[in-house]
Amino acid sequence: MTTPTTLPDPGGSESEHPAGAPDAAPPDLPTAAPPRWRVVTRGAGTVWANRKARLGLLVLAFFVLVAVLAPVIAPYGPTANDFARGAGPSAAHPFGTTAAGEDVLSQVVFGARISLLVGFVAGALSTLVAVLVGLSWGYVRGPLAEVVNFVTNLFLVIPGLPLMIVIAAYLQNSGLDMIIFVVVLTGWAWGARVLRSQTQSLRGRDFVTAAQFSGERSWRVVFREILPNMTSIIASSFFGAATAAIIAESGLSFLGLGDTTQVSWGTMLFWAQNSNALLTGQWVLLLAPGLCIALLATSLSLVNFGVDGLSNPRLREGSGR
Amino acid sequence: MSLLEVQDLSVVYEPSDAPVTHAVRDVSFTLERGEFVGLVGESGSGKSTLGFALTRLSKPPARISSGRILFDGADVAALEDEELRAQRRGGFAMVLQSGMNALNPVRTVGHHFDDVFAAHGHVPRERRAARARELVEKVELAPTVLGRYPGELSGGMRQRVSIALALALEPQLMVFDEPTTALDVLVQHAVMGTIRELQASEGFTALLISHDLGVVLESTSRVMVMHEGVVVEDAPSRDVLRDPQDDYTKMLLSHYGDPRAEVVELPGLAARGGELVTSSGTAAERSARGSGGSPGAGRRATAPVVVEGVSKVYPPPRRGAAPVTALDDVSMRLEPGQSLALVGASGSGKSTLAQLITGVVRPTAGTVSVGDVRVDRLRRRGLRELRRDVQMVFQDPYAALNPLHTVEYTLTRPVVNYTGRSRREARARVLELLDTVGLTPVEQFAAKLPHQLSGGQRQRVVIARALASDPQIIVADEPVSMLDVSLRAGVLALLEDLRAQHGVSMLYITHDLLSARVVTDHILVLHDGRVVERGETSQVLRFPQDPYTVELLDAVPQPSRAEGAA
Repeated sequence: MTTPTTLPDPGGSESEHPAGAPDAAPPDLPTAAPPRWRVVTRGAGTVWANRKARLGLLVLAFFVLVAVLAPVIAPYGPTANDFARGAGPSAAHPFGTTAAGEDVLSQVVFGARISLLVGFVAGALSTLVAVLVGLSWGYVRGPLAEVVNFVTNLFLVIPGLPLMIVIAAYLQNSGLDMIIFVVVLTGWAWGARVLRSQTQSLRGRDFVTAAQFSGERSWRVVFREILPNMTSIIASSFFGAATAAIIAESGLSFLGLGDTTQVSWGTMLFWAQNSNALLTGQWVLLLAPGLCIALLATSLSLVNFGVDGLSNPRLREGSGR
Repeated sequence: MSLLEVQDLSVVYEPSDAPVTHAVRDVSFTLERGEFVGLVGESGSGKSTLGFALTRLSKPPARISSGRILFDGADVAALEDEELRAQRRGGFAMVLQSGMNALNPVRTVGHHFDDVFAAHGHVPRERRAARARELVEKVELAPTVLGRYPGELSGGMRQRVSIALALALEPQLMVFDEPTTALDVLVQHAVMGTIRELQASEGFTALLISHDLGVVLESTSRVMVMHEGVVVEDAPSRDVLRDPQDDYTKMLLSHYGDPRAEVVELPGLAARGGELVTSSGTAAERSARGSGGSPGAGRRATAPVVVEGVSKVYPPPRRGAAPVTALDDVSMRLEPGQSLALVGASGSGKSTLAQLITGVVRPTAGTVSVGDVRVDRLRRRGLRELRRDVQMVFQDPYAALNPLHTVEYTLTRPVVNYTGRSRREARARVLELLDTVGLTPVEQFAAKLPHQLSGGQRQRVVIARALASDPQIIVADEPVSMLDVSLRAGVLALLEDLRAQHGVSMLYITHDLLSARVVTDHILVLHDGRVVERGETSQVLRFPQDPYTVELLDAVPQPSRAEGAA
């Protein structure tokens, strides 16, 4: 989905109609697919056309596949602990085993599920909160906006990780839902601010005023006129939030604030740290989950390069600028 | 030898994700030394593409596909980057439409001149300050601007600075690309005057690119008309004016006229206002006459718009500055079925007055009422009700339509909101509206997205949307200023038709006196927030009393004036 209003094509989109013939109809564009789908496929095409984004999508697809097919790919169960303890890499255990006697490869494979789940669910939820807050905050004027401004700034200035630790420690319910809740609570503010400023700039556009003249109610102006024009920013905000969520989940788990019996990349790092894996020479135990976290986060950031190109044609690769 | 020789030049746009566009096709012409030549065309005609190609400023995806450009005998395309940079002095320079935004906001005007002199080293260090003063005086600015920052200058002053900067390079060829289009009418007139004088005194060769044939004919000695990438006419200005050869040029010329003339006629618009003083009768009678046999679907306007003693003061833009008075004690009355022009240069307060009448802003003092509704006291629900009766046509058809909604969606919303029809009835009404504004076949247009429509078609959709609630009053804010000349008459004729057929009252806001003359009966001239002149349009424009009105009239580009100039 693009925002065609932002920048004109360098090719000069005005040239599409012959100026000489008054009101001559421009040639019909193919109308095979309904407009909405065409927009989606064209957007996907733009993201795919970006080399970085393509690499990101491939890496992301790899992790999604691993997560979905985990039971098929993993040689053993993630919590099966009847192997030799702290063994090095071997044919039976390519990444070795943990101090508790679990297969590291299987844990990495199953760990992808938690990271992706938390990443996408927490990313989606915090984007949802950011959209609701950002759009209404950007659209209304007056004292309410000031209140929202204060609350958002509060969440922006409080350092994220300490806040997360405090909330997680306070809640003491160390399930995945708690982690998602904490990540959403600390992660929505940035997106809300970005979306608010975009809403404010769109609010002054003629088509928004025109919608008000058409008798549209406020919520309809916000969600049917303004929101669709911000799709690319929302998408990019989602990928950013998902990246942050994946890293936050790993961090919380690594600190032992998550459910330490769950197998995730963060808890793997937690247990590896607990068993002094580095001192015993089992660096794979730290490297494998760490690298996976880094790769997954990188892939999402790479996808964002392509998403940027949706809203700003000048950022598209090969546009020669 | 000619200064510039263009041989069979073709330029194509080759974007990676769209089909190839042939912007310039096989164009050949020459510019002699000291000539002032105009290049005219409407949007998409390729005139700017050509200008960029001449000065080697083309960027991908634009590419010169064939032909040669010889400047002073040397092929421009073959120049190395450094050679190109070096020859920017004493070679060719370009002044852009957005030239006023081309200045670095954190450096003073004087710094800009220093940079130019330093980059080319053609002025000895000790002479630079004096030379800069000399240059700004040439463009009729005070030498004190050298110490000021671009943000402290007005748009017209900045455009003058960028012209002076181009002059600093002592170019043999100056390309002006729409140098005044982004400026206010009066400023535009003054800047064009400066350019003309400069060209005459400095003797450089100039190419003036513009969409406005009137402006070009007034200034230049030879005119090239471009249409769809091809130069269709290339002749001395006087010949173009007296005896245009190409149909396209004839069409362009037909859209000019003198608002002061006794009878003004534009294609598609009937002559109006020839009669003198008292013959017009009341506005109600007029609209009754105009409606003829076909009564429109809408209600006739019954509510007058009454504005009394209205002032609007905005808070100061910066701390310490004085508050801005947009309107100062303005009173006016728009009778049912009447059409009233609101004219003035930018900053005269005409748009503020429109915003007051539509309830977008509230007055600081005074009252605004539509019928018996006090607009200045309305709250949200009341405003919704008001907009059933008072609708708006926006200036920029490219910004007034949501790019993601189909025409049908855009039109369905007001129909549903204001008339409470069911979905099927609404669709019928939408198709009827499209038919009213002349977008047929209606079914096809209903399914289109804004980017599939031309500017004129978009403006028709905007007008259809304004009609959807059966309004009594339409406020049209410069409805044709963003449109190509050839599309303007059509849109104006449509507005005029609607007024006559549906009996709506119209407030027509514009800086273009010619269009005011052809579509309105009464006129209100605003200057610095005050009404300086009012009366019947034909009277006021033919026999203006206030000096400001005279100034506005003088600023209207008139091809016929070229006869005297050339």
